[in-house]
Amino acid sequence: MTAVLRAEGLSKRFGGLKANDNVSLSLEKGQILGLIGPNGAGKSTCFAMLAGSIPPTSGRVFLGEQQITGLPAFRVARAGVVRTHQIVRPFANLTVIENCTVAAAQCSGRDDAGSRELAREMLRFVGLEKRRNGYPAGLTLAQRKRLEMARALSCAPKALLLDEVIAGVNPVEARDMVALIRRIRDEQGISILMTEHVMAAVMSLCEHVVVLDAGKLIAAGAPKEVVQNAAVIEAYLGKKHA
Amino acid sequence: MKRILPPWVRPRTLIAVAAAAAILAILPLVHGNRYWHNQLTETLLAIATALAWNWLGGYLGQVSFGHAAMFGLGGFIAGRMQVSLGVPMIAAWIVAGVIAGLYALVWGHPTLRLRGPYFSIATIGVGEATRLICTYWVWLTGGSSGMSLPVQVQLKYQLYWYALALALVALAVSYALRRSPLGLALLAIKSDVDAAGDVGVSAVRLQDLVLFLSGMTMGVCGGFYASYYSFIEPGDMFGFARSISFVLMGVIGGIGTIAGPAIGAVIFVLLRNSLIATYPQLYLGLYGLLLIFVILFEPLGLTGLYVRILRRARPDLGVTGMAAEESAVPATGAGAARVEQREAK
Ligand SMILES: Nc1ncnc2c1ncn2[C@@H]1O[C@H](COP(=O)(O)OP(=O)(O)OP(=O)(O)O)[C@@H](O)[C@H]1O
Ligand SMILES: [Mg+2]
Repeated sequence: MTAVLRAEGLSKRFGGLKANDNVSLSLEKGQILGLIGPNGAGKSTCFAMLAGSIPPTSGRVFLGEQQITGLPAFRVARAGVVRTHQIVRPFANLTVIENCTVAAAQCSGRDDAGSRELAREMLRFVGLEKRRNGYPAGLTLAQRKRLEMARALSCAPKALLLDEVIAGVNPVEARDMVALIRRIRDEQGISILMTEHVMAAVMSLCEHVVVLDAGKLIAAGAPKEVVQNAAVIEAYLGKKHA
Repeated sequence: MKRILPPWVRPRTLIAVAAAAAILAILPLVHGNRYWHNQLTETLLAIATALAWNWLGGYLGQVSFGHAAMFGLGGFIAGRMQVSLGVPMIAAWIVAGVIAGLYALVWGHPTLRLRGPYFSIATIGVGEATRLICTYWVWLTGGSSGMSLPVQVQLKYQLYWYALALALVALAVSYALRRSPLGLALLAIKSDVDAAGDVGVSAVRLQDLVLFLSGMTMGVCGGFYASYYSFIEPGDMFGFARSISFVLMGVIGGIGTIAGPAIGAVIFVLLRNSLIATYPQLYLGLYGLLLIFVILFEPLGLTGLYVRILRRARPDLGVTGMAAEESAVPATGAGAARVEQREAK
């Protein structure tokens, strides 16, 4: 198997806090990899380092053979690693389709018309095509999460990092979202690294998960095995349950 | 016609602007009134400065209270080059503009990275520091007694057409910066710099580019001002009142809109002339009051007011609410409608 995106010994310190401590992981081509862990474990921090939003204190990130450690976020995005935000961050002053067009124009390598076309395709893909000329303020939370995904997809990424795109939506929407994530991989062939608190979604989507607790990787494996792991149960529920 | 123009240029807009420009170009030959001729020249210059300020303050949301620094610098450099080095006027304006643009980058490249209001606060310091340094830099500015250029009555008359050209170039840049694919990236930066970076927008490069263009245009306008008045002095050129006037024109007309600041400039020149005549000591305070008033009641200035009226009068046009809240009013509103038309075809 070939790794699309690989982290080697990533660490991040915020003052005295080690938000990530020597985290290594590898996203294989066509894989949906889960990064799970309790609140504050450092999942979003790990995503931010992979996407170039914050530089790691130490460690390296590779996109295929290319080292992308320390590159600014816009270069990482253009190279093919794009993230969504746990708390959605649409461009409020752009229409829904413009939100995606701007991403496509910067990253996809297409011209103006091609970018608009790609943006519209991606909105259709996530089911927001009808809302394309409205503003993000008019969308529900679930729709904004879809916009966040459509905008990232408009970059035509090689690796897509989804930060809790399911948490917070109702069960019906959650089911649709699971199906959507699977379609991204199956129909667009994009490798996906996702964090999620909704375990049912992780169980059904991910072939492989890695578990982060207090910045450290504590377990890795198939989701069914990992949830039986004593260290993981302890991390989520505390010592007495383990 | 269509094939020469980029697809984002609306032929109708182009024709309207060309017609207005043609009328303005022949107007002085028709009316022959010297007072109005000068008023119009000043207004055209004000339009160019207001538009240039708006690229940074409106499109990128980085409000500068120190743009007089580039205006003044451009004025004195262009003046000095003509007086002491014998450089021809236009060449002096352009060189002065480039230097002013570079100067803007020197202080702006680091400060543009500041978040929230800190950029604006920094610009106040930059404006004042530049004024002080240049007041004591006698070789460049002539110190507090200022600098005189040779008076040429015929030139002053002709400068009207140069001002018209300057305003048109500024308008074209305003249009291009907003309507070209770059415009979306600028709006994205204004909305959320980090999220823009996450989808591949190079905020640093675009912010620097816009700042340079804005500073350079300010510099050229300063050079024009020096030639037009043939006397300039640092207290006025670099004055805080001048920096505020740029902000005010943008705010009156509608920050972040394409042509709003141009309309703001027209109103401002009329207002200033009557205010200065009536309350010569109070006008800075009155500027402040006016700023507060507009921002409280119609943050998008006259453009916002226009959209609001349009929405009342013609609900069928479907001018959306969000468009009125965020800068892009006529730009995105009409833009979206245009996309619909294109898709319908
Ligand atoms: N910019 C920052 N400065 C200081 N501390 C930070 C910063 N960002 C995150 N942290 C801290 O780092 C730790 C990890 O945060 P992170 O957001 O990565 O966790 P997470 O696993 O994504 O949690 P959640 O499941 O709640 O989203 C937390 O203790 C957080 O408070
Ligand atoms: Mg998180």
